[in-house]
Formats: sequence, C-alpha cells, structure tokens
Amino acid sequence: MNESLISPFNITHPTAVQTSLFANALFARFDPSGRYIGVGGTSGTAAIWDLETRARIRWLEGHVKAVTSLDWSSNSRWVLTSSKDWNVIKWDLASKCDPIQRHSTIRFDGPVVSASFHPRNSNIILALLSTGEAFVADLRKDHRSRVELCEVQDDGDNDGRLRSMMTVARFDPSGKHIFVGTSSGSILVFNSRTKTMVARHKISGAGTMKGFDFAKSGRRLVTNSSDRTLRQFNLPVYGPPNPDGEFIDEELEPTHRFNDPINKTAWYGMSYSPDGEWLAGGAADPASHKIYIWDISNDGQFASALDGGREPLVHIHWHPSKSSIASTTNHGNILIWHCPNPERWGAFAGGFEEVDENVEYEEKEDEFDIEDEEEIYKRKMKEEDEEVDIDTIPGATSRRKAQLDRMDIEDEDFAWADHDADDREEFRMKIIMLDDDSEM
Amino acid sequence: MFRQLARSRQTVSPSVSPRRQLANGPGGFAHNTKSRKAILFVHVIVHFQNMDVNATVESAVIDKSTIPVSNPPEVPPTASEQPRDPLEPYYRSRYTLSGHTRAISSLKFSPDGTILASSGADKLVKLWDAYTGEVIRTFEGHTEGISDIAWSSDGDYLASASDDKTIIIWSLERSAAARTLIGHTNFVFCLNFNPSSNLLVSGGFDETVRVWDVARGKSLKVLPAHSDPVTAVSFNHDGTLIVSCAMDGLIRIWDADSGQCLKTLVDDDNPICSHVKFSPNSKFVLASTQDSTIRLWNYHTSRCVKTYTGHTNRTYCLVPCFSTTKGKYIVSGSEDNKIYIWDLQTRQVLQILEGHRDVVLTVATHPTRNIIASASMEKDLTIRIWHDDCL
Repeated sequence: MNESLISPFNITHPTAVQTSLFANALFARFDPSGRYIGVGGTSGTAAIWDLETRARIRWLEGHVKAVTSLDWSSNSRWVLTSSKDWNVIKWDLASKCDPIQRHSTIRFDGPVVSASFHPRNSNIILALLSTGEAFVADLRKDHRSRVELCEVQDDGDNDGRLRSMMTVARFDPSGKHIFVGTSSGSILVFNSRTKTMVARHKISGAGTMKGFDFAKSGRRLVTNSSDRTLRQFNLPVYGPPNPDGEFIDEELEPTHRFNDPINKTAWYGMSYSPDGEWLAGGAADPASHKIYIWDISNDGQFASALDGGREPLVHIHWHPSKSSIASTTNHGNILIWHCPNPERWGAFAGGFEEVDENVEYEEKEDEFDIEDEEEIYKRKMKEEDEEVDIDTIPGATSRRKAQLDRMDIEDEDFAWADHDADDREEFRMKIIMLDDDSEM
Repeated sequence: MFRQLARSRQTVSPSVSPRRQLANGPGGFAHNTKSRKAILFVHVIVHFQNMDVNATVESAVIDKSTIPVSNPPEVPPTASEQPRDPLEPYYRSRYTLSGHTRAISSLKFSPDGTILASSGADKLVKLWDAYTGEVIRTFEGHTEGISDIAWSSDGDYLASASDDKTIIIWSLERSAAARTLIGHTNFVFCLNFNPSSNLLVSGGFDETVRVWDVARGKSLKVLPAHSDPVTAVSFNHDGTLIVSCAMDGLIRIWDADSGQCLKTLVDDDNPICSHVKFSPNSKFVLASTQDSTIRLWNYHTSRCVKTYTGHTNRTYCLVPCFSTTKGKYIVSGSEDNKIYIWDLQTRQVLQILEGHRDVVLTVATHPTRNIIASASMEKDLTIRIWHDDCL
C-alpha cells in the first residue's frame, strides 16, 4: 500500500542493514506474509520474531538438540521444525499458551536435516535424514502414512557401487514434485502423490548437492553444490508419473553459473527475490559477512556485494514480497537488510515538490488570471460529481480468486494435496502480553 | 500564516481543548469519581423525556415513542414514512443509554459488532451490549478524563487515551488493565491499533505521534509530527501507512515502517483539523475541519474529491464515519445537536437525526448492521443507538 507514495525509482534489491536482532540463531526464515521470522537455535529452542516490533513473540520449546530447519505453512499458522534429536515438530501458532504446546511430533530413525510442509497442505511433510534418506509423512486421517523416496537403480549399474545419499529434499512451489539432490551430483524428481521417480538429471561436475532454491514461478531452480558454484536451471515440464515406472533421464545444462572466481569461496545459501529478478548468494567467507547479488533479468550479471561486517554468514533468506533479506551470522545475530528510502523533506510541506536542480519556471498564460469565484465553485462541484470508490481493495479480490483457482484446477495431484488441507483459512496472530523480564 | 496561527491560538488557549473541553474543563480535577460505584442493573423506561440525565445509574431506554426524525426539507412529508429509495437511510432512535456522568468523548463498536465501547470525561470506559443496550462492564483506572478509545482488531483489547498522559490497554478476557503506556508528556488525545494489533499509534498535546509495541508496552517511535496538538491518528488497512492531523491544519501521511513523512495535505484556508481517517480501502482520507466541512481527499494526487457541508463544526473535534452497510454514507455529529448523514457520491444530506440535547461529539457505525451510535456532551450525557430496519 505504501509503495505508491514511495519513489518508484528505487533499486529493488536491499543495500543496507536496517536492524540486527540478537537472537542466538542458526538460521532465520521469513513467513509467507513477511511479517515474522522463524528462528532456530543450537540449544533446541526455536522462536518467532515480529519484524514490526523487532521483538520475540513466541517461544517454541520442544527439541533437545540443535534445530536444523524451520518451515511455515502458507497461512503462517503452522510451523514445522526439525532437529538433530530425530524429531520433527509441527507447532500451532494459534495456540494461546506461552510457550506454545506442540501440535504433533514425528519421530524418525536418525537426526533430521530438514523438514518442510507441502505448499498446499501442511499435513503433508517432507523430511530428510542425515543418513541420506528422504520421507514423505502424511498426517491426514485417511492417508496416514510414511513413505520413503527411493531412487530407481539402473539395471546395468549393479556393480556394487554404493547407493548415493540424498543430501537435499524440497517441494517445488506448486507442490506437485519433490526435488532431491544427491551426493553424486544429480537431481531426482519425484511425484509427491505417488512418490515415484519421474526424472533424474545428472549435473556434470557439481559434486555433492548442498542446497536448492526455487523462483516463485517454479520454473527456475538454483542449486548449490560442493564445487563452490551456484547453477541456475530452467526446468522442463514433467508429465504425470509413468505407470511402467519409466522416467526421464537426461542431463540438465545450467543457464547460468555463479561463483567467486578469485577467492573460490563456497556458498552457505542462496535465495531468489520474490519477482525472481535477483539472486542473492551468501558467501562462506570465514572472516566476513558477504552477500553477492546477481541480476537475473540482466543475464545474471553481478550487481553488488553487500558487506555485513565481520561476523561470518551462515544462512540467508529473501523476504517473500519486499526488497529485504535476513542473513544470519555465526554469532547468532540476524541482520535484516533493506533498501533505504532517502528522507524527502519536501513531503513535510503541502503542495511542494522537490527538484534535483533548478528548473526555469514557465508561467502558464492563465495562471494568475482572476476568475469568478462562482465559476471556480461550479467547476469544483462538477469535479466532485465524479464517483469515488472507497471500499474495494485491489489485490484482495485477486487473492481470493487465486485461492478459488487453486480449488478449481482439475488435477489429480492437486486434488490429492488439497484434500483435508488445514492451511486455507486466514490466520491472525494473537497478541500475547509479554513481560520484559523474560527477555534473555 | 499569522491568521491561521491567531485562530488556532484562540481556540486552544482558553484552557479548553477542542473536543475535550470536557476533560480539563471546570471542575474536572476536583471531581471525585472514586465514590461512584458502577451499579450494574438496567431498567427500562418507556418515556425518557423527563429522565434525570445526571443519574449515576446506567440504563438503556427503549425509544418506543417514535422520535421525530426530520428529513431534509426537499423530501415531501408523506414520503418520510416510507423511504422511496431502498438505499436511502431511514434511521430511527432505538435505545438511549445513560451512565456517563460527564461528556462522552468517544464511541467505538467492537470489530465483531457485539459490543459498543464508550469513554468520557468522567475517566471511565464503559462497554455496552450493542444490540440490547445493557451495560456489560465499566473500566476504572485513569486519573483524568479520556479522549479516545480504540479496539484491537480481534476485539481482545481496548485502548484508552487520557489526559493523565497515559494510555491503558484493557484486556477484555481478564477484565482488567493489561498495560499502561507511559511516554507522552502531555494529554493523549487520539489512538488506534494497526490491523495486526501488534502496534498502537497515539497522538497528543505534546505534538508528537508515538508508535508503541503492544505486547511489550514500549515506545518504538516518536515522530515529531506536528507543531500543534495532534487530533487524530490511524493506520491504513494493511498497516503500512499512518495518517495524522493536528490543530496546525495539516494532514500528514507517514510510512509506518520507517517513520518517514511521505505526504502533507493542506487546504488553502488551513482550518484546524478535527479528525482524519483512511477510507476502508485506504485510497482516500476523510478529514473533518473546524470550518464546518468534511472533505474526502485523494492523497495520491493531493486533491479534495468530495466536500460535505451542512453541519456545524467550529469548536470541537468531531469524528465523522463511513457507513457502508446499506448505501455508502458519511455520518457525522454536529454542534447543532444533530447527526447528519450524507450520500458519499452526491454529497447531499440524506437524513438528519435529532434527539440529542447537546453537541454530538462522536458517532460510530456498526461494522455489519445498519446501526449508528452517537454520544453527546454535558447537557445530555446520553448515548443513542439508531437503527435502520428498512430493507
């Protein structure tokens, strides 16, 4: 809403640190509304911070070892945390207790590296274990199950070679597919409903896959791998799963490669801007906090490097709608980056406009003509006859429409995912009055 | 500029704050309210005319005797019985609530419309059942008169701004004060929550606008907003903008996140600004000024798109409202003891509600039903609830 009053000629990537939160964090992730961040800590405590008040508003106490990942449901009500204590916990932020009670716990047979919600249903959960196995757990009453995702082994390749480990697992933004990265440098694509493999892409030279990020459209994927290079791919369209178990097996050629040619630093993380026009990479530099930004719309050109001081970066996440980034330092502080707007002092005087340089003012022919007051009044009344619209909110309707579309699409995968979804209704975070003394 | 300054002085200096002359008016400090225990019973009086307005008993009076509702002169008297246009307002007095012992400064319906909250110079906040008019609860705690109240968007909290320089946030669940916000250096005059209710914005006679963290009760920002008392302040529908207005006649729009001033609206004559609020979709701001005019501004183009006149507003900070439950109207009290309802588009007065016996400072429109609440000052001390039952 405020965009219309702020100068539109701003750079659309963040340029400066707006605030830093002393959060004892390992990572920080924005919620889909962009108002909160979820923070995971080493001691097993996760927390929710309100970005408007810059204060911690909820504690999620349940894990006994370091929290490894945190995910938000699409309506921001549910939070999923995974931990090295072998558990994945689903939290309900609508719970009125403080600290809030867990909604459900899923226990696995090993430390959990990451866990995420299905984008259309937070009862479907994808978890990756440090043992290299990925599971889809379904919490719905009539679908209750836990299925392991298995790579289809090549027949001719049975020469005793070890099965490669799964090192990354993510839903794509539509939720139709699960993308899994492996230690042998390939991307496996599974159908989320049938859990069958629909594609395997070998990425030559990549080494072990370390991270994925999707552009919001779901057509572009960027990967981070052990060869210290970020690769961007345009994804093909995957058909429905083949009943005979056949799958696409082809190499994918990256459209762009991003790396640091001088220092050869590795990357701790990367994140697309909401419009997909920028890509931010967090450098694994041991002595400084550096974020590199590339301009994807301009053929992937390097745009700028942000310097966040001396505390090395460990995690990075771009805001879901604004030009803002949350980056976490290895001391547990979270830096919130923004794009500052210069103060316009002209805004304080009504009817004034700021100009950058002197402008020769040209007086209009009739500018100081004396006009009959009645004329002016009449003209004003005529102008005021124009109808005004005071209560339709642009975007509100389109949002609802998008939601209806979501329901309407005739698609087996979507129908499966939408069944029994618990993240449809709007969620509003209750205000809990906090005492300052409980703070740190 | 001098003219403007002189005029605003004139209005401020006789130790009488506009809307809230009540709050620090004569006798305000000496008044002892402690002894006045709220008596929570309701009795129904059919004929209210001779009722003692100074009674300390809260009561809801059903107005069975149809209050004469005067329609604008151009409407023929025969037509007044049945409105011809189904979109025209046809409000009739339903209840008269008494309970406040000094002028009533603010009225607000809860977001779900079930409760009507009122505040007054008697230092009390009262909650009434919006549909029956019964008193639900009285909050005591402020040491000076109250100028404004605001609901959080979930209806769990109610905040009140007082001349004791504090803001109290009342918890409805616990039925007690949950937070006292201390920071203003002079009377607090106006306040509002943001849509997610984690922030509260307030303005006062210290000429600042303050943004507060509700959960922690801490001041987050102090905007040196105006050069005269701030008379109204509120957020837009998505919480990204703040609008404020003051007795310096300026309306300013602020970026809620950075606290930067984005725009200033000023009318040619620079009249004292009584109240300002965003339209439901936040495309416009509705401002009432003490030249007896209400204006709808398009703040993007800095143009006044609608002007509503007919009422009287020279001394107090009257609070106009949008009404969108039936037709689209602008509703405002007036210093001639009436309530005016204008058509949003044509700017014609559609209905005038009569019945109050003093200045109608504040009106509130129900969020979902065709109900208007209005409240009046010292000579009247009642809240009236008006219903429009025509379909």
